[in-house]
Amino acid sequence: MEPIIQVNNVTKEFKVLNRSEGLKGSIKDLFSHDYKIVRAVDNVSMDIGQGEIVGYLGPNGAGKSTTIKMMTGVLKPTSGSIICNGVVPYDKRTLNAQNIGVVFGQRSQLWWALPAIESFNILKDIYLVEDKDYKDMLELYSTLVDMDSIMHKPVRQMSLGQRTLCDILASFLHNPPVVFLDEPTIGLDVAMKAKIRELVKMLNKEKNTTVILTTHDMGDVDALCERIVIIDKGKKIYDNDIEHLTGLFGAYRTLSVSLSKNKEILTKEELEQMETSVSNLLREQWPDVDMPVSIEDNEIQILVNEAFTGVVKVINAVQDKYKVYDMHITEISTESVIRKIYDGSKIVK
Amino acid sequence: METSDMSMKTASKRRGLRYYFNIYFRIIAQDIKSKLSYRSDFIISLIGMILTDAVEILSFWLVFQNFPSVKGWNFYEMLFLYGFTLVASTPAQCMFDNNWNLRLVVYSGDFIKYCFRPVNLFFYFMSEIFDIKGVGKLFVGLSCIVYSWNKLALPVNFKSLVLLIFGFVFASLIVIAILNLASSACFFIMNSFFVLSLSNTLRGYARYPITIFSGALKFVFTFIAPIAFMAYYPSMAVLRPDNVPVLTWFTPVFGIVFFYISYKVWMKGALSYNGTGN
Ligand SMILES: Nc1ncnc2c1ncn2[C@@H]1O[C@H](COP(=O)(O)OP(=O)(O)O)[C@@H](O)[C@H]1O
Ligand SMILES: [Mg+2]
Repeated sequence: MEPIIQVNNVTKEFKVLNRSEGLKGSIKDLFSHDYKIVRAVDNVSMDIGQGEIVGYLGPNGAGKSTTIKMMTGVLKPTSGSIICNGVVPYDKRTLNAQNIGVVFGQRSQLWWALPAIESFNILKDIYLVEDKDYKDMLELYSTLVDMDSIMHKPVRQMSLGQRTLCDILASFLHNPPVVFLDEPTIGLDVAMKAKIRELVKMLNKEKNTTVILTTHDMGDVDALCERIVIIDKGKKIYDNDIEHLTGLFGAYRTLSVSLSKNKEILTKEELEQMETSVSNLLREQWPDVDMPVSIEDNEIQILVNEAFTGVVKVINAVQDKYKVYDMHITEISTESVIRKIYDGSKIVK
Repeated sequence: METSDMSMKTASKRRGLRYYFNIYFRIIAQDIKSKLSYRSDFIISLIGMILTDAVEILSFWLVFQNFPSVKGWNFYEMLFLYGFTLVASTPAQCMFDNNWNLRLVVYSGDFIKYCFRPVNLFFYFMSEIFDIKGVGKLFVGLSCIVYSWNKLALPVNFKSLVLLIFGFVFASLIVIAILNLASSACFFIMNSFFVLSLSNTLRGYARYPITIFSGALKFVFTFIAPIAFMAYYPSMAVLRPDNVPVLTWFTPVFGIVFFYISYKVWMKGALSYNGTGN
C-alpha cells in the first residue's frame, strides 16, 4: 500500500545568528552575517503507512520537533522532500492543515477563555465538518472520556492534563488521516498519562488514524507503538518494530555485584578501582567479548550478553577473585535499550 | 483509496469570503461573550480609555486658551483632526489589537499554534481578539467631529459626508498598516518593543496638520510613515473644501498600498520565522 507520509532524505539546517545586545544591537542584527549553522535534522527518510502509530524518539534536541514541524508544513526542509496525503506540506500549508491534527505538548491550541465545547464548535466550522460527522465524533468521545467534567470549563481553568486531553480530542475532531502528537504526556501524572494513552489507542483503532508520537516516556512507547524510529543528533539511528529492538537486546542481562560488606561507605576512588580491576578481569577471561562495566548505586554493574557468555560464568569468574557480598540480575528494560542506542552503542548495527 | 477520497473531499472544501466572515463572527462572538462575563473589568477599562482621550482633549483646549491659532489652525479644526484620528484608529483597536501580543507569543514559541489551521494565518491570528473597548474611541472621536463641525459651521451635505466616510476607511487602513508593520518587527529582531512604542508616538503626531512640521519631517510623514493620511489629508476635503491638497485624492492609494505591504511583510515574517527553538 502507498504510504501516507513519505519523508525523503530530509535535512534541516538553522542559521543561528550570534545576536548582539541592546537596541543598537538589534538593529545591527538585521544586517549581520555572523551566523553559525545548526543541522537539526540530518538526511532522514521514512515511510509511514495508514493507521500506524509510530513512536518518534530521541534525546532532547535530537530534532524530533523540527521533523514534525516540517511534516506539518511550518518549516521547509533545507533539502529533501516530504509528501503527506499527496500534498507537499511546506508548499501548501493550509491545504495540508485540513488533513492533519496537531498537538504540541503544553501549548494549547484552544481558545483560552472559552469552554472546550465552544472551541470545538468553532473548529467544526473552521474544518467544515458535516453536522452528522461532528455529532458522531462527539458521541464517540463521550464513550471514551468523561466529557461532562471538562467540556464546559474555560480552557484557562483546566489542569494541564485536562487541557491536553481536550487538545487531543480537538486534533481528531475533523477526522484527519494523520495526527501528530509532540510530547503529549510531558508533565502529566501517571493516571493522566494512562488515560491519554488509552484515548489515543482507541481513536487510532476506531478511525484508523495514523499517529506520529514523539516522547521521552517509554511508557508511551510500550503502551502505543508497534514501530519506533529513533533519531539522535538529527540522524536516524533506528527504524523498526519494537519487538525487533527488544529482540536485539533480549539476550542482555545486567549483573550488579556488591564487593564490600557496607557499600555505602565506599569512596569514589575505591569504586573506580574495583571497576577497573573487574573490567580487566573480564577482558582477560573473555578477550573477544565486549562487556561494559559501570558503577551504579555504589555497585559494579556488568552488562552481559548471554548469547556469548552465561551470566553464571561471569559470576563465578568474579567470585574467584573477589568476595561478593550481594548480587542481582535484571532484564534490560525498553528504556535502557533506548538509552544504550542514544549512547552510541555499537550493538545496533 | 482512502487517500484519494480524502484529497477530493479537501478540494471540494472551498474557502471563500463567506466562509471567512462566518468564522470571524463565530470567533469574535465567543470572545465578546466571554469578556462581557467579566463585566466590571470591562466597564473599568472602557472608562479608563474614554478618560485618557478626554484628558488629551482638555490639554488641547488649554493650549488654545493662550494661542488662538497655531499656524492658521484654530481649536475646532484641531479638534476635528483629533477626532478623525480617533475614528480612524477604531478598526485597528478593535480588530487588530492582537498585534500587541504578537511579540510575546513569538518569543515564547507559542506562535506556532496559529500555524496548524487550514485558514489564512494573518486572519486567524487577528481573529483571536476583538477589543470592544475600541468602540469608546469611536464614540469620543465622532463627538469631537460633530461638535467641531457644528462650531466651524461646515456645510452638511451628501458630498462632504461621503468624503468623510471614505476618508475614515482609508485612513484606518493606514493605522492598521503601521500597527502591522511595527508588530511584525518581532519576527526579525529581538527586543522589538521599541518599534511598537515608536509607532505609537508616531501616531500621536497624526493629529497635527502636516504644515506645522519642517520639510524633512513632512516628507517622512507623507511617504515613509504616512501618518499625514491618518487625519490631515482626508480631513482637508471636508475642512478646506476650496483648498484641497492634491495628495488628499491619493488617500485611497496610500491606504491600500500600505496595508498590502504591511500584510506581506507580516506574512513573510511569520512564515520565515522558525518557531524559536524550545
Ligand atoms: N528555530 C530554531 N533556530 C535555531 N535552532 C533551532 C531552532 N529550532 C530547533 N533548533 C535546534 O535544532 C535542534 C533540534 O531541536 P528540536 O527539533 O526542538 O529537538 P527535539 O524536539 O528532539 O528536542 C536543537 O539543537 C535546537 O536547538
Ligand atoms: Mg521537542
